[in-house]
Amino acid sequence: MPDSEPVAAWQQASVRYPYQQRVAVGPVTIVQRQGERLLLLGASGSGKSTLLNTLTGLVPATIPAEVTGEIRLFGETVDERSPAEWAAHVAQLFQDADQTLCGMTVEDEIAFALENMALPEPEIRARVARAIEAVGLPLEAASRRTMRLSGGEKQLVAMAAALAQESPVFVADEPTAHLSPAAAARLRALMLHENRPQSLLLVDHRLDGLIEHVDRIVVLGPDGMVVAEGDPAETFRAHGRRLDDLGVWRPLASQLDAELSVAGLAPVDPPPCIAEMLAHLDRLSEEAKPLAAAIVEGFVARRLRHGTEVGPPLAQLEDAACAPLFGPVVLNGVSLEVRAGEVLGLVGSNGAGKSTLGASLAGLLRLKGGRREGPAGGMAFQNPENQFVTGTVADELQAAVSPSTGPEAQQKAAELIRRWRLHGLEQHHPYELSQGQKRRLALATLTATERWPMLVLDEPTAGLDAAGAQAVVAQIESLTETGHGIVVITHDMDFALAVCDQVAILGEGGIMAQGPVRQLLGDRPLLSRAGLEPPALMPVIEWRARVSC
Amino acid sequence: MAGAGLMLSAVHPLTKLVICLLWVAASILVFSASLQLFIIGTAVFVLVLLERRSPLMVMALMVPFALFGFGFLTTSVLFRQESDFALQMAREAPLGSEALSAGVVLFLRAIACGMASAVFVLTTDPGAFVKALMVNWRLSPRIGYALFSALQLVPDLAAEAQQVRLARSMKAGRPPRRVPGPLETASLVIPLLAFAIRRASRAAVALEARGLSAGRPRTVIGAPVFGRSDIAFGAMALALLVVALVVVA
Repeated sequence: MPDSEPVAAWQQASVRYPYQQRVAVGPVTIVQRQGERLLLLGASGSGKSTLLNTLTGLVPATIPAEVTGEIRLFGETVDERSPAEWAAHVAQLFQDADQTLCGMTVEDEIAFALENMALPEPEIRARVARAIEAVGLPLEAASRRTMRLSGGEKQLVAMAAALAQESPVFVADEPTAHLSPAAAARLRALMLHENRPQSLLLVDHRLDGLIEHVDRIVVLGPDGMVVAEGDPAETFRAHGRRLDDLGVWRPLASQLDAELSVAGLAPVDPPPCIAEMLAHLDRLSEEAKPLAAAIVEGFVARRLRHGTEVGPPLAQLEDAACAPLFGPVVLNGVSLEVRAGEVLGLVGSNGAGKSTLGASLAGLLRLKGGRREGPAGGMAFQNPENQFVTGTVADELQAAVSPSTGPEAQQKAAELIRRWRLHGLEQHHPYELSQGQKRRLALATLTATERWPMLVLDEPTAGLDAAGAQAVVAQIESLTETGHGIVVITHDMDFALAVCDQVAILGEGGIMAQGPVRQLLGDRPLLSRAGLEPPALMPVIEWRARVSC
Repeated sequence: MAGAGLMLSAVHPLTKLVICLLWVAASILVFSASLQLFIIGTAVFVLVLLERRSPLMVMALMVPFALFGFGFLTTSVLFRQESDFALQMAREAPLGSEALSAGVVLFLRAIACGMASAVFVLTTDPGAFVKALMVNWRLSPRIGYALFSALQLVPDLAAEAQQVRLARSMKAGRPPRRVPGPLETASLVIPLLAFAIRRASRAAVALEARGLSAGRPRTVIGAPVFGRSDIAFGAMALALLVVALVVVA
């Protein structure tokens, strides 16, 4: 249990960035106690990352902003020291390992913060060895350059570097956002290890598997102010509807708890995780179980895709050898097809070749072997900015609809603005939009004409809040209803389960398995071999199947 | 041979840097085809036989320098635009016309300078080099680690450029060309600049969050130390250069 001594405190703190009318976050009053694991939640743009960066004064010392109120760390006001001086007390892990690491060897990366603390060399070497062992990297990896590591390995090195600091406070900003499920689970296990005495301040939206290890949550609203805080399970039960309205992610157990509550079947104490919820369901009386099973049935059904009628193949790969642009072959012997009205998921660990296969399916990359049949497909890239070519949203849509600017083209562009909820943004530069708005604009341009019957969506939910992700699910359904074939590349297994008919699991230099999504994402040995984890919903599906037997 | 290779990698980066700079200076100041050929030959010997680099790779390395040098050669032969000094020196060279002689020496000089630099770059660990600069020549750690971050950025920038090119080619309805044309290159500038600025800002934040700041004492682990191998290497390289200069003179 956390001690009562506060380590960090924001007292009526607020932040406003230069040239911005509204505050990015605040005013907020939050106190974090020693040893407490505190999770910050909120919709996109609610100021979570800004708040983390105020803790050591990175905002405003390094990132210019106007900060009002008081922020204290270990009893001192934060601006009494520079952010670099606070590094001895606060270890920080960022979302993107590429921005954290400098391209040195693994050993040098881990030692970097310790060198900055001017620790004696023998102590640095001892701490580096302990950190390498803790994250499970082989000792021979110490001399490897981080530029040559996979995305998952790089984040592990960044984690080792933060662990080596042995700081009393550990801050992590969506550290698993770009990781495959198995890599994310490994990182999370390290961060939440029971023996770790650190106070933990965390921003993350992958809540299943995390929330049961958190002491308290603080939820920020769209105006950057605290809308709810407290024990995670209690807060989700008390404020669930409001959090849904705000687009805040909720763990699966909390969502099921809300549905069971309506029928009076929820447990007295809200369970923090799905395993405890299922244990509660097992304990229900035989009379109550059928009703619970019916609720679970509906709960599961709303989280699975109900496929539309599937049409003819739109794109086919036969014994294809796929390689990135001007790069070596990463996938061999690939045979796949995408049909009209069908959603195919591509899943696999970091570096398995998902994006390369997606671009090959769309016909954007020349195959190094085998053949592709079918018309060219469109692709919504991981970074939507990559596909914008004009200076305003209106011009981007206009260019996508037609090179001419006749009334018909203008009407079509206006229809796209309405359909993809881009009104009011017409004269904004595409780079100025939020991540969700950029994704919508990218999809709007791809669906503006009938040019691309098949679309590849690369990590379409990355960086989105729950509302944004739900909108993507609806958009995919709408596209399949109009006969598009969709390929979805994702690390989010529950999202794959919600939108895909078929799934291909990539690994070991090719396709390890392909088939119906429910069948493959329930195959634990296969998922483990591919560096993946089953969806959080899978135990619920299995419980329902068990009860109905 | 392997032992020799190991010896070269054990040499202090700053010793190697000074020696390489001296060889480059000799190449620039002494206008002699034989000296340039000697420097090129020595560099190839070091890279192929001592460092076990593929001869093909070493040949490929020479290509950009050769293209650069070829510019001097054509200018000299076709337009006689080189300096009087070059022509005066070339009169003494047995390579046909003065202009051709001057052009050939300039051509070889470009390759010689490039190959001497390549020996340094290919036999020096960048981490060890930056650490040596910080410890021995008081390079600011901020600049040193910014250099590392910039190195890290290069492959990511290339990957980003490829993504942008793929997206553009999708819209254009044709596969991307291997080498982008001038218009395509110009259209890449803004997205890549935006990417680089955003990335550099985040890297700066991360470096500061990990405790890097100017003016604070810091430990540097694993910095290279000067040893006997530096004396041996320095003496050998200097002696070789002096002998070459005497022979040429």
